[in-house]
Amino acid sequence: MLSRWTTRLHNLPRDSRDTLFLLLVIASVLIPQLPHLPLWSGAWAGTVLLWRGWLAVHNRPLPGRWWLLGLLAATLAATWFTHRTLLGRDAGITLLVVLLTLKTMELRARRDAFVVFFLGFFCMMSNFLHSQSLLTAFSMVLGTLGLLTVLVNAHMPVGKPPLLQAAKTAGWMALLGAPIMLVLFLLFPRLAPLWGVPSDTIKSRSGLSSNMRVGAMASLALDESIAMRVHFEGVLPEQQAMYFRGPVLSAFDGLEWLASPNSLSAQPGGNANLRVTGAPVSYEITMEPSSHPWLMVMDAAPQRPELAGIQSVMLDDLQWITNRALTDVVRYKVKSYPNFNYGPLQRVARLQEFVALPPGFNPRTLALAAQIKNDPQYANAGNAPLVQAALDRLRTGGYTYSLEPGVYGNNTADEFWFDRKQGFCEHITSAFVVLMRAMNVPARIVTGYQGGEINNVDGFLVVRQSNAHAWAEVWYAGRGWVRVDPTSAVAPSRIGASQRLAPPRGVVAQTLVNISPGLVVQLRATWEAVNNAWTQKVLNYTQGKQLNLLKDVGFEAPSWQDLSYVLIGIIILTSLASAAWALWERTQHDPWLRLLEKARQQLAKAGIESTAATSPRQLADAIRTKYKTPSSACSTLQHWLMQLEVQRYALASAEGDRALTRTPNRGLRQLQQQFKSLEWPA
Amino acid sequence: MAVLAMIPNPMTLVRRRWRGWFENRLPLSDQVTLSQRTVYVLPTRPGLMLGVTLLTLLVASINYQLNLGYLLTFLLAGSALVGMHICHSTLRGLAMNLIAPPATYAGTSAIIDVKLTNARRSVRYGIGLRVMYLQSLPEKKQKPNVSPANWSWTDVPAQGNSTVQVAFTPPKRGLYRVPTLTAETRFPLGTFRVWTVWRPAAQIVVYPAPEMDPPPLPPGEPRAGGAPTASASRSTGDFDGVRSYRRGDPLKLVVWKKAAKTDPFVGGQNAGLVVRDTQQAQRHELWLDFLQSGTFETEHRLSRLCAWVLQCEKLGLDYGLRLPSLELKPGSGEAHKRSCLEALARC
Repeated sequence: MLSRWTTRLHNLPRDSRDTLFLLLVIASVLIPQLPHLPLWSGAWAGTVLLWRGWLAVHNRPLPGRWWLLGLLAATLAATWFTHRTLLGRDAGITLLVVLLTLKTMELRARRDAFVVFFLGFFCMMSNFLHSQSLLTAFSMVLGTLGLLTVLVNAHMPVGKPPLLQAAKTAGWMALLGAPIMLVLFLLFPRLAPLWGVPSDTIKSRSGLSSNMRVGAMASLALDESIAMRVHFEGVLPEQQAMYFRGPVLSAFDGLEWLASPNSLSAQPGGNANLRVTGAPVSYEITMEPSSHPWLMVMDAAPQRPELAGIQSVMLDDLQWITNRALTDVVRYKVKSYPNFNYGPLQRVARLQEFVALPPGFNPRTLALAAQIKNDPQYANAGNAPLVQAALDRLRTGGYTYSLEPGVYGNNTADEFWFDRKQGFCEHITSAFVVLMRAMNVPARIVTGYQGGEINNVDGFLVVRQSNAHAWAEVWYAGRGWVRVDPTSAVAPSRIGASQRLAPPRGVVAQTLVNISPGLVVQLRATWEAVNNAWTQKVLNYTQGKQLNLLKDVGFEAPSWQDLSYVLIGIIILTSLASAAWALWERTQHDPWLRLLEKARQQLAKAGIESTAATSPRQLADAIRTKYKTPSSACSTLQHWLMQLEVQRYALASAEGDRALTRTPNRGLRQLQQQFKSLEWPA
Repeated sequence: MAVLAMIPNPMTLVRRRWRGWFENRLPLSDQVTLSQRTVYVLPTRPGLMLGVTLLTLLVASINYQLNLGYLLTFLLAGSALVGMHICHSTLRGLAMNLIAPPATYAGTSAIIDVKLTNARRSVRYGIGLRVMYLQSLPEKKQKPNVSPANWSWTDVPAQGNSTVQVAFTPPKRGLYRVPTLTAETRFPLGTFRVWTVWRPAAQIVVYPAPEMDPPPLPPGEPRAGGAPTASASRSTGDFDGVRSYRRGDPLKLVVWKKAAKTDPFVGGQNAGLVVRDTQQAQRHELWLDFLQSGTFETEHRLSRLCAWVLQCEKLGLDYGLRLPSLELKPGSGEAHKRSCLEALARC
């Protein structure tokens, strides 16, 4: 069956075979796109490719113009219904994919191969908007080779050349093109975007969000994708200290926590009243695109993170925000001081905002707050004992940590404290903060990432979306804002432990884990280390790194103009070198003829005249007639000349023949060596 | 409008002048080895499109700050650059040999055999040869990429050779230099066109087109010095070298070629057979005369003479050719035929 198919494939006429190969290449370019495309367009692309393949195999005529116009109209309509526009990025990508497949329906001339070639490259480029991972890079190389092969094959007009031949040529071209790519990649000046990229078209990616509706983070905890990688210089801080601060949420409407409208308008860094002590921790964060303007830093970073090209400010709740959404991988260096305190030391009017609660929600929690507050042991004792009381209640009241606490109603704090008694960080923290506020203790929620996992291959701390966390900040008189993590009271293991609650695995993953639990961890660590190296070395190759490269080469204070000069210099040098090579090639003669020419010149000095047409044998004869009495030098010379003759003209035996064809230059090289030691008659 | 059409397009004139100047620079040779100097390279229209694509990809990479996009752009640029070199080296170093072209008749296409030799250890793919300027086409259609049917494509194997046949239709009879040839390749990507222009030195003789249905051969003339006889008036209408078969004629004198053409059943047995009239042949000789070919238009005359020469050769007769400028003594055989036809071609 299989062999019949292979013979059938083998016997296809060239046109059909080429078309099938082209369809295969298009499919391989499109497959990485599929997750980002509307469902219908993926199905459409597949159908059209299969249809075209069927037509090619059976040598059927292509559909007529009206068919194509109808299909085109249907495509445009479907795109319009999906995106409500035909312009813009996402609609453009959908259209690109669909039109690329539709184009195969009118592949007639070689010109059409070009159209597919160019569209294919645009398609690959559009995929990079979603992912620039190592896997994407592999598929890019594969796609490029495939498209090049298609084009090379289209330009072999004679007969039915094997596709492998075209693939080989394409491979060579890519291989020889790689150094050019490298030079350009290293030296092409990285410019800022030429014009503003509309950020609203960029889909929000999973991760933290600027609001917190209790219950929304259950899905986040299952997301194993990487949020950021952290490279610490020197000693690693304790896992318990690794709180990466994201948005601070302090406005509560009963259902949803939002950022304080005031903190955004606060004087940047001015009234945070941050005081740090002790030694800082230096580290570098490589953050995956979040499409939010938040720079995650470990508490507390008073200095601006070093980030080229992007402005950032610190708000009075210690959060660092940038002037635009981070849609690319960014990397920045930060210095954090684990020992710090901040915020007002006295109970100022502004703190009133952090005890506000919406009326009509969580009556039982309010009652609980009143009950604790009225306990004489807490009267006038300040905030600390109240916090302690709440934590004690969490620790001993039968509360449990669960990723699936079920759906909460409107009074989330009441339900947590009294009914369900289970939840994960956001339920716990939200209930905790509501209770604090009910007791007139200023409190708010901080979201971000907690902890991470050290990759033992490259030593980076990998922070995943599943490390997303919410904790509380409580204000103490005389100390300011203090971090309180109520989740640690419920599930101490949740904080600072490498073991997280893992989502259920697939069958394959489970089998692997059963066979060798260590292997899976090791494999994942290695893969992520390779990926990280890719991210660090390639994706994060910024202008700063370019300039560092120049600094290493010897520029004192390189600028991007210097980059252009170096690039132009290299281009000029290469052109000169190739021009010189062309010149050399023009003057270059056959090495055998050059050797003969040198011998002739030597003999001319001795008075043996010859022309360019004189053969070595004639030269040898001339020597014999001129020097009647043969000296040893003369006979060596004659022997050498005869060897020269044989090298070119006489192939003594089949064995010698084979040896010469295998290494035609070896004998010549020997003769050239001998030439140096010859004695010439004066 | 008609008046306007009479005025030659100035661009055409410029182009013609340029072509003339360019061609005259080229040496005439039947053997060329292409070098850097004689191989030209320019981007094709898809090549320009590739440039636009690269620019678009670059701008996209800059605007979305995609480092992988830079990689893709530069990989494509690098490959295209290498492709240009491969394209150039496909022709560079190639040796082209013109195999002396055989003579041909006006109105039929002449086939020129060109031997391509590749000394390199890799195959040269997709080399096309063609006559450079196609006179039969109007000026506008002479762009090389309009009529790809004219190209003869070949691959030249590693350290081997291959022969390409280039066809061209000579406009009229005469002695021509083989037209200027051009070799081109777009391998591997089609984004660059690499070509060369080659003026072979060899000449090709174009005989007049033989008349389709020529009148019978002219009567023989009395041999110079021989007494004129009345036999000239006895002409059978065929020509005077033969007469009808008579019983007793030796079989070796029968013109069998002629016999094959005539219908033996008309006029009884042997009626169609003719024999060489040895007496007649001794007394008369066949002269194909330009002035007495029965027509007045020069080309028509030449084309009739051509047809007669071929006919005589077919019949195995001795014949002489008399042209205004030269006279060829009666004779027969391939060499005689060739010199006659050549004389007709050059006339």
